[in-house]
Amino acid sequence: MTGSPDMSVVIGSLTLRNPVLTASGTFASGREYADFVDLSRLGAVVTKGVSLKPWAGNASPRIAETACGMLNSIGLQNPGLAVFTQKDLGWLETQDVPVIVNVSGHTVDEYAEICRRLDSDSRVDAFEINISCPNVDAGGMVFGTSCPDAASVVSACRAATSKTLIVKLSPNVTDNTEIARAFVDAGADAVSLINTLLGMAIDIEKRRPKLARVVGGLSGPAIRPVALRMVWQVANAVDVPVIGMGGITNSRDAVEFMLAGATAVAVGTANFVDPTTTMRVVDGLTEYARSEGLVRVEELIGALET
Amino acid sequence: MTGCCGAGEKGHAGERPSLERVDVLSNERIAEGVGLMILHARHTASLVEPGQFVHLRVDKGRDFILRRPFSVHRARGEQIEILYQVLGQGTLAMAELSCSDDIDLIGPLGHGWDVPADVNHALLVSGGLGAAPLGGLAEKLAREGVAVTCAMGAPTQERLVGLDVFEAVARRVVIATDDGSEGELGFVTGPVERLLAEGSFDIVYACGPEVMQRAVAAMCAEVGVRCQVSLERLMACGIGACLSCVVTTKDGLKRACVEGPVFDAEEVCWDVSEIPPKH
Ligand SMILES: Cc1cc2nc3c(=O)[nH]c(=O)nc-3n(C[C@H](O)[C@H](O)[C@H](O)COP(=O)(O)OP(=O)(O)OC[C@H]3O[C@@H](n4cnc5c(N)ncnc54)[C@H](O)[C@@H]3O)c2cc1C
Ligand SMILES: Cc1cc2nc3c(=O)[nH]c(=O)nc-3n(C[C@H](O)[C@H](O)[C@H](O)COP(=O)(O)O)c2cc1C
Ligand code: FES
Repeated sequence: MTGSPDMSVVIGSLTLRNPVLTASGTFASGREYADFVDLSRLGAVVTKGVSLKPWAGNASPRIAETACGMLNSIGLQNPGLAVFTQKDLGWLETQDVPVIVNVSGHTVDEYAEICRRLDSDSRVDAFEINISCPNVDAGGMVFGTSCPDAASVVSACRAATSKTLIVKLSPNVTDNTEIARAFVDAGADAVSLINTLLGMAIDIEKRRPKLARVVGGLSGPAIRPVALRMVWQVANAVDVPVIGMGGITNSRDAVEFMLAGATAVAVGTANFVDPTTTMRVVDGLTEYARSEGLVRVEELIGALET
Repeated sequence: MTGCCGAGEKGHAGERPSLERVDVLSNERIAEGVGLMILHARHTASLVEPGQFVHLRVDKGRDFILRRPFSVHRARGEQIEILYQVLGQGTLAMAELSCSDDIDLIGPLGHGWDVPADVNHALLVSGGLGAAPLGGLAEKLAREGVAVTCAMGAPTQERLVGLDVFEAVARRVVIATDDGSEGELGFVTGPVERLLAEGSFDIVYACGPEVMQRAVAAMCAEVGVRCQVSLERLMACGIGACLSCVVTTKDGLKRACVEGPVFDAEEVCWDVSEIPPKH
């Protein structure tokens, strides 16, 4: 029998114990999941998006279920950086898990200011810059879908921190590879994708949209093939690590994303369905690596045969 | 049930939810469009307090993925009862579950009804399936020597549920149906107004359509009686992480799945509150 495979992967200056992360906004800061998940067995926790000042989020209803997925228009409700730093980071500090802070903003300066203020905070291991949320009027897709604007957010954040900088890509664009390259040129250490796909659902009895905000972001298994295709394209276009997500529900899905080129994967909506999903993915991925006789799980990255 | 009922005791003090596989012990239609499901749910049954809920997974072989939140109607021994109205694909799937099926749930969840120490006489107001979370409360109050009066509303006699539970423990049960097929004709708010005028209640517990809860809350405020309501919101995670279930309160946005579903009627900002999608 061979020994246990080395499950660690490297993202920027971070070495993660395994490639399984939580997708921002689906796991809060982890506290709510502590009854179901051993956080010290996660690759990292990616926090809910945080902004400089508190954001109230959107009106309700904020979610609508659709075939094999859901739409959300939460609108990045969060208590702002000060509360986040005290409460969330304060709690995460007591947990044995790397912390990736998901950053939101309305302006270039807001994004950069958050990175600057947390740059010397030892409780933070990396930033994931969310310039791709479809649920806020400014700061969301406005940046994520246009190259020069988005790249200026990335360069400003790069200048504000020496920590690992991950940039999260929107799927709501024609060509993600071009945008991904621009982000890497602007200083991104890694890219993550996909954020939710812009969608909509209608209550035909009331003839009204199911979401108060009319449109929202689609997530869950319904988007997995699209996410996988985009991860494959982007991984082939850039030289930095790619974090893949979109509908990952079990370890087989995670393996698919790694074969397509992802260095790590994130579990989102599946946490709502089964709060222990991340643990199942970690166990299943380890088992897969062992059964394939791998020495290191990294051997899977981009190992797709075409 | 572990009945702890001190002053201001929270519905879930110190108890942690877990993910548990449960067996369907029985599942039958008890009224028009309403099912009663009894589940063997050891963990939840031993911890649940009245007003708390469970997040059920019933998606096996279906094309939807999210869980469905249901109040625990009553818990006894290792069993819990769920009263559910068949509305859409999730509850249709529930209606088709049979005894051999095992499903899973997360529970117990949420903040249930508070029973202050000085309560002597409680009025329970239900509209339709609003009787579900009030069943266990009625029994608990009666056990603790609190007098219980119930005002029940339903569209018709065929859709009146929970009556047997209330009749077994309440001093008085008043019924109103939209078509007059049982009790008096009209909404339950009619009898509630008269009952409140009698002036003997310390507290009112209400659950039903949000318009009804809002009207009851207003009447209670008028006569200065404390009122608690159990609010429904669309829920994805059910455990406080996703922020899909927020209720606008005087202290800002609160999560119905953690800080609720039971709220003090006075803290709810009814003007901005979302009417649930059902009706
Ligand atoms: C805390 C809580 C306790 C509840 N207790 C009960 C109970 O004891 N008995 C009962 O019959 N119903 C109860 N409900 C409402 C019940 O959850 C919904 O009626 C049910 O989820 C509908 O599912 P569906 O698939 O049949 O309907 P669909 O319309 O197909 O559901 C689509 C989506 O909307 C959600 N949804 C639809 N209506 C509601 C609603 N009114 N509230 C919340 N989510 C909704 C579903 O969960 C699902 O995600 C409760 C809701 C909450 C939040
Ligand atoms: C309820 C909800 C809230 C989300 N909030 C955020 C957020 O705050 N920041 C962010 O970058 N992405 C957010 N996302 C997107 C997810 O992180 C992820 O990119 C997307 O849902 C696809 O993965 P999934 O299909 O596994 O959920 C959110 C998704 C959901 C469903
Ligand atoms: S349902 Fe997710 S926070 Fe309440």
